[in-house]
Amino acid sequence: MATKNVEKIIAPATPHYVGDGFRVHNFIPGNEQRLSMQRMSPFIMLDYNSKFYFPPSKTPRGVGVHPHRGFETVTIAYKGKVAHHDSGGGGGVISEGDVQWMTAASGVLHKEYHEEVFSRKGGDFQVVQLWVNLPAKDKMSQPKYQAIENKNIHRYHVENNGGEIEVIAGQYKDVKGSATTFTPLHLFNAKLNKGAKTSFSFPENYNTALLVIEGNIIINAAEKVATDHLALFENKGESFTIEATENAFVLILSGEPIHETIAAHGPFVMNTQAEILQAFNDYNQGKFGYLED
Amino acid sequence: MNGFTFTSFLTSNIDIDKNVLDELIQKCKHVTIAKNNFLLRQGEICKSAFFVEQGLLRQFSIDEKGKEHILQFAPESWFVTDRESVYFNQPSNYFIQALEDSTLLQIDENFILSLAEQNKSFLAFNNKLLHNHIRYLQKRITQLLSATAEERYLDFIKIYPDILLRVPQAMVASYLGITPESLSRVRKELAGKNFKK
Repeated sequence: MATKNVEKIIAPATPHYVGDGFRVHNFIPGNEQRLSMQRMSPFIMLDYNSKFYFPPSKTPRGVGVHPHRGFETVTIAYKGKVAHHDSGGGGGVISEGDVQWMTAASGVLHKEYHEEVFSRKGGDFQVVQLWVNLPAKDKMSQPKYQAIENKNIHRYHVENNGGEIEVIAGQYKDVKGSATTFTPLHLFNAKLNKGAKTSFSFPENYNTALLVIEGNIIINAAEKVATDHLALFENKGESFTIEATENAFVLILSGEPIHETIAAHGPFVMNTQAEILQAFNDYNQGKFGYLED
Repeated sequence: MNGFTFTSFLTSNIDIDKNVLDELIQKCKHVTIAKNNFLLRQGEICKSAFFVEQGLLRQFSIDEKGKEHILQFAPESWFVTDRESVYFNQPSNYFIQALEDSTLLQIDENFILSLAEQNKSFLAFNNKLLHNHIRYLQKRITQLLSATAEERYLDFIKIYPDILLRVPQAMVASYLGITPESLSRVRKELAGKNFKK
């Protein structure tokens, strides 16, 4: 199989706040130097709260009530805890290592905060939020959650005690992912011990990238990628290797692009401008439900 | 909702050669303003109108008790100015402030005069804009005098479909002349009627 090479390595952008609780570097879609929704489809947004200490706070920091329609949000907590509530009466806590896969689809109104106890004690907070686009036929499907606790994430154990690969979605070797998806995609957390080397293989046309959450790695024995940096792969070749030069934690994403038009405005990602206007109207008229701030 | 240039705004409303227009517009100033900054403060004399190409402004007054009252929001493709201050050369009673980082076109009287000379249909269009503005103000006065909170809200979301997601709820309540609690109640009642799980 041909080697899949790195197209570019992207340093984290200047962080900005989402609400007052998420201090994020935006990687997708960002500005021109970064990754457009089309270039990384089906991954249309990636905000990364790199490890950051939040001091104790009596009032939990976070993002107030806001809607989503037309895609899925995937929240991965690496450090700290995120609590969430929605207008359908759902809610929960995403703890360290957990993944919340929320299919907003036809519409969800929710809020996300630092979990209360974590907030009162303060501490390191490190979270990825990823938006996964839905194909037109599924954009207005029923909203749903997949709350995936860390202990339930299917794992592949790397040879020679090299670490483990959590298969959140898709498939790695013979291990199937824990989450179900609407279009073909792979999402892994690779925890690699120093010196461990693993290989990955994805179809050429799949848009592929990795984000180094912790430690340092070398891709294809050639490209060094440091903590908090993202490596974008070419849409040529299939296979690449990762070697951990120290204990490392890497998020790997690869998916088949959805070749459809994108009309995106704020919290709505649809196919046409008319559907965006409809989303605003539905939100204004309470069709996403109601939730107290 | 997306950026709409002043040129496209005019060419889509009056029959004018784009080159002629571009030359005139070059004399106008493009202004970028960061969130929270002011274009006009109470007591100053307003010299221009602003056309919003990207971003969001608000025009508001502050009463004796220090409470803010929002007269108008100006998202993309809206104009904002204090006509009283510009036309009668009087100190303004209003503030005009950016609620988002914004890109604006600053339009002064000379531009209007040159455009009117170049293009006969512009005068009629400008007149229509003015009457439309008066119509909007009349409706607003009537609503503040007699409409229920829900009626005001339903009209608001027709005029400003995306503002609710761009500003704090308290600002929307201020525009509607109701308390934030009343706005919450109206939205909760609507959701009760329209939300299907």
